[in-house]
Amino acid sequence: MTLSLRSEISEPGRATMHVAGRLDAMTFGELDQAMQQLLPKVADGGTMVVDLAGLEYVSSAGLRSFAKIRKAMKARGGQTLLIHPQPQVRKVFDIVKAVPLSEVFSSTQELDAYLDSMQRKVLEENDDL
Amino acid sequence: MVMRSIASRMALWVLAGSALVLGLIGIWLLDLTRAQILEHTHHEAAALAANAGSQIQNRLDRVAVSARIVSSMIATQPGDAEQLLRDALKANTDLSGMAAAFKPLLVQAHPDMHSPFVSRGDDGKVISRDLLEDTGSYAEQTWFLGGLSCSAGCWQRPFFSKSRHRQLINYSFVIDRDNHPVGIINADVTLDWLHKILASVDKPPGAYVFVLDSDGNYLAHDNPNLLSKRADTPILKLLASDRPTSARLPVAQNTQARGPVWIYSEPIDGTRWRLGLAIPEIQIYAGVRHIFLLSLALGLLALFGVAMMTLLIIRRMMAPLGVLADRAAHVARGELDFELPAVKHHDEVGSLTKSFDRMRHELALHMEDLARVAREKQRLASELEIAHQIQIGLLPNEHYFDINCTSFELHAALRPARAVGGDLYSYFMLDATRLYVLVGDVSDKGIPAALFMAQTITLAKSLAPRAPSPDIMLQLLNQELCRGNDSCMFVTLLCGLLDTGNGEITLASAGHEPPVLCSSSVTRLIEVETGSVLGLNEDASYPRHRMTMQPGQTLVLYTDGITEASNHEQQMYGLERTIECLSKIPQEAAPEGYIRQLIADMDQFVADAPQFDDITALALSWHGSKPEVTQLLIDNQLAGVFAALDQCDEMLAAAGTSPLLRDDIRLVLEELLVNTVSYGYPDARAAQISLQLEIGTGAITIELADDAAAFDPLQSEPPELTGDIADREDVGGLGVHLVRTLTSEMRYTHTDTGNHLQLRFNHPFEERS
Repeated sequence: MTLSLRSEISEPGRATMHVAGRLDAMTFGELDQAMQQLLPKVADGGTMVVDLAGLEYVSSAGLRSFAKIRKAMKARGGQTLLIHPQPQVRKVFDIVKAVPLSEVFSSTQELDAYLDSMQRKVLEENDDL
Repeated sequence: MVMRSIASRMALWVLAGSALVLGLIGIWLLDLTRAQILEHTHHEAAALAANAGSQIQNRLDRVAVSARIVSSMIATQPGDAEQLLRDALKANTDLSGMAAAFKPLLVQAHPDMHSPFVSRGDDGKVISRDLLEDTGSYAEQTWFLGGLSCSAGCWQRPFFSKSRHRQLINYSFVIDRDNHPVGIINADVTLDWLHKILASVDKPPGAYVFVLDSDGNYLAHDNPNLLSKRADTPILKLLASDRPTSARLPVAQNTQARGPVWIYSEPIDGTRWRLGLAIPEIQIYAGVRHIFLLSLALGLLALFGVAMMTLLIIRRMMAPLGVLADRAAHVARGELDFELPAVKHHDEVGSLTKSFDRMRHELALHMEDLARVAREKQRLASELEIAHQIQIGLLPNEHYFDINCTSFELHAALRPARAVGGDLYSYFMLDATRLYVLVGDVSDKGIPAALFMAQTITLAKSLAPRAPSPDIMLQLLNQELCRGNDSCMFVTLLCGLLDTGNGEITLASAGHEPPVLCSSSVTRLIEVETGSVLGLNEDASYPRHRMTMQPGQTLVLYTDGITEASNHEQQMYGLERTIECLSKIPQEAAPEGYIRQLIADMDQFVADAPQFDDITALALSWHGSKPEVTQLLIDNQLAGVFAALDQCDEMLAAAGTSPLLRDDIRLVLEELLVNTVSYGYPDARAAQISLQLEIGTGAITIELADDAAAFDPLQSEPPELTGDIADREDVGGLGVHLVRTLTSEMRYTHTDTGNHLQLRFNHPFEERS
């Protein structure tokens, strides 16, 4: 079973990449390519959500791909959030401490709650200004 | 606060004690003095009273004498009566008047006779009259009749003369002619002189004098209010005596005197009068009381002075004690370097100061001693700790499984009762297929036992090549240990030799506890016939016990530290509990599970009772004979790698390996193989990597061999994990870290044929149980 990717842009500031299958040294290139196309479509300061619901397996090559996405988003003032990591993925993340725990969500509700709170924070900051 | 000082308490007690003594003595002295003063006063007052009495007597006597002379003269010359009376009146000023009263019948018989009364007027002129010319005859009057009966002369009752406006008394004397009373001489006496005499008495202040007449009325009194009044019964009773007396009256009749009074009485002869001198008691003691109060005040002042001096002296004497108390606090804090007060006097305080100084020096020496002992103790402890480390170092790893030989697994635990102990376990491969296992217990505990244990373990290893079976091993070991064993230490030992190929195990015991065999059906004791303990009998030989272990069976060896572990009720854990505990453990459990559960059960039984003996247990599981090995040859291309990964995954899935373990193995292999094909062939030549997969019951082992550039994944530095790999410039090293984390055991060798990497993956225990 190889990698399958599907992306959607729900709003200008937010894009979601659904990753499924196996992300390893063989397939990570596909993800990198897909992201190169998707990233410019996200506004600066936006949010990239990577949905790992279908990802069964990740190796260090896949970790590097995630790192690249996060770097690119960070450079543009945005953030990358990972959602629905499966057991193997979570285990690998844990071992190498790949991403901050605050950016990994096990459900859509958690993610939405987080995004809402972020939005409120931004609004409050604007009010302060 | 003030009372805390010894000086103030001492001063107070001195003050109190002296005041008490002084008070008692003072009261006693006061009592004595009072008695003496009273006696003195008695004398003085009696003398005073007697003196006053005699003065009164004199005056009265003069009146009486005058009356008698006049009487005798008138008896012979009754016609000159008036002239005689006048002369007498002139001669004695005490006389207010004088009468010569004849019986009226007699006067009528003699015309030249009359009854003249001569009296002194207010102006001092002497006037006279004839009594017979008075209205009403005197012949019937009491003064006349009474006078007639008074042949020796007598003093009549006082009366108040209206004509002369004063109180008078009269003295009657019979005019006697031929032994017949013909009339009386009646002399009226004023009492002015009596008052004068009383006033002239030199009496002490507050005292007063009085004269009582025969009826008990006050004839004269210093207090004019009492004149002519009747005296109180107690006074009358007191004065009833004819002799001078004295007595104490609780309450005086005279209201001018307060409190009890002393009365001194003096009878006045010829009359029935009494003179009384009254002195209030308060006056008697006034002087002594004054002196006493003064002495008391002075005494108290002196006492206060003494107390103050005591306070000062004791304070001065105690001052060094305060300093010593402060220094004692220093000593308590461990500070011994301080100044002590100079010893001025060789008294108790001085000797205390000296003792304190001596104590400080000896304490310093003692503390130094203690510190040295503590250092010594610490050194000993650290040496013991090192000995403990060395002893632990003598023991092989707690856990053992061989990558080359997956058919057995072993786990042991040793818990010494003290830092070092006499229990031992050891295991080593005799050759490629046979494993020696030893569990022993040295007869003693502590350092001697530890040394003997070290000797036993070292000897066993060095003798093993010459011992093809455990009985010979024990025999050789015994001979070596008997040599030079003057202290007669000994060791019990259970020795086993496992043929890992077929599960055959040979056991020999030197007085050691029998092992327990655990299998799915039954957990039982293996009765091994034992020889004598090692180290005592040089000629001992040891019987051999053979048995074959079935795959999955576990043999548990232990020392008496387990079976004889005691709880607070002195009950021992015992063999039965041991077997029962082991029988409850599922057969699939790894040796580590057996040991952990056995020791945990024993610990629970013992609770927190102290451990007296070393505790050792060793579990040896035989998994069965060596499984099949599959070899894959992989092209050094990514495609080849991933094809092989899929192939491996399929084989593992077919063998029933859990998906999680399969994922782990796939990840490890991907990381290693991708690493090799990516970096191992910089010259990009075509090559093949060999992968050998062995799926055993206890574990999966994989061996990778390639001729790529030498790379030991065990030697690479672990990556710095910051919690966010996006932070890192270089994300390399993560794969090797994953590999190391996910494999149970990894061994790398580099030979002339290239890299050899052996990997072992244990089946997760939870999955199997």
